Amino acid sequence: MGLILREKAEHLATFRWLEVFLMETLARWVPTTPEMEVKVLMGRHIWDAAQHADALGKRTFELRAPMHYTLAPLPLHLSTMNELASVEDTTGRLQSVYDVILPGLAARYQQYLQNSDSLLDEPSFRVIEGILNDYARMRKESEEVRAELRETLVFDPERAERWSRQESAISDFVVQGSGATLAREASA
Amino acid sequence: MNTSNTNSIEATAFAAGPARDSRFDVKERWSECLNLPDTHPDRDLEFFHRQMNEEINGMENAARNLADFPDAEWSVRMSIARQTADEARHVLMFRRILERRGGWLGRYAVLNFQYRIITKIDNLVGRLAVQNRAFEAEGVDAVEPAIQKARDAGDSELADLFEAQLADEIGHVRFANEYIAQATKSNPMNVMRVGRALNQASEAFLSVMGQEAIDSVKYTTNEQGRLEAGFSPEEVRFAAADRNARKKHAGT
Repeated sequence: MGLILREKAEHLATFRWLEVFLMETLARWVPTTPEMEVKVLMGRHIWDAAQHADALGKRTFELRAPMHYTLAPLPLHLSTMNELASVEDTTGRLQSVYDVILPGLAARYQQYLQNSDSLLDEPSFRVIEGILNDYARMRKESEEVRAELRETLVFDPERAERWSRQESAISDFVVQGSGATLAREASA
Repeated sequence: MNTSNTNSIEATAFAAGPARDSRFDVKERWSECLNLPDTHPDRDLEFFHRQMNEEINGMENAARNLADFPDAEWSVRMSIARQTADEARHVLMFRRILERRGGWLGRYAVLNFQYRIITKIDNLVGRLAVQNRAFEAEGVDAVEPAIQKARDAGDSELADLFEAQLADEIGHVRFANEYIAQATKSNPMNVMRVGRALNQASEAFLSVMGQEAIDSVKYTTNEQGRLEAGFSPEEVRFAAADRNARKKHAGT
């Protein structure tokens, strides 16, 4: 069953929260990750996440929610995100963002597109398609950095697979039922 | 400066340094670095290496501003996110020219004083006043004559790099000027925060660089660049007069 307007706004508001979370996670990691190439990779991608959050936040307003409406995900998804953002080692951080968070989010964006209408909700499609294109580039750039640092960084593929299974096992992530007249309630 | 003063400034004006991998040799004072003279054949390589690390500091500072001030207005957070990515790109620009001309990562010692000074400041308006409005505005002054010098020497690769860097830095100073103007207008406490941050940074900067290094600055105020960066004509005139007075005093 397709999403109604309020649910679309709630999904995009949750995606916005996740993009801001990604931006802030990368921002915390830039000064605390030793390898220069990884710092720079993350520093560049902070701007990508910010632009995604911005575009999503403008779209929520068009869907009769407040400008830059932002909703934290459901507790299970939230705790998984917090766990992925608490990684301390460089290889774990790369895996967390580029092997788990981005593919996981991409799958959730795809799910949204499947549950919405490309004509009725075309502006959301344009925003999300742009984000998915950016994700592909960001992951490609992370592969280039890993190749450059292959002599110094040793990855544990099982760890990333375990995290991915944990993340993808969570189906519901959007808090729903925040009200049919979202904009009016939120600005009251 | 005596030891007790140095220890006191270390405690009050510097935060812990950022993470660096083992290729980097991190020093704490300007005098501990190589500081090749202008006539030395490797002087440009040392400059590119130093500049690359300063851009890393700029990126790390901007990143910390995003991480430390999650409740700042979204518009300024967007500008800071953009600045983070710009500084990251500058790191790559300076690394590329360093390596193309025979240098390599870790060849020269580096200083992380910018990060240590900025992240000691506990408010966003103060950090932007020091990093963007002071440090980066100095960059706006310094880069403009370097563009012409590189063009005159037929070094278009370097001139193009400097032009790209300058355009970005003007943008960073401009958004900080706009933010500070709005923040000080809406809350007079922010005027005090800016003043305190500038004083703290000035003392710290002196302790790192030493008066001799500060006095050796040769560039003048880039009046057009500063106007584009959002300084008022009065502020530009004051900066130019102050710079001239300091140069006269130092005999440079």
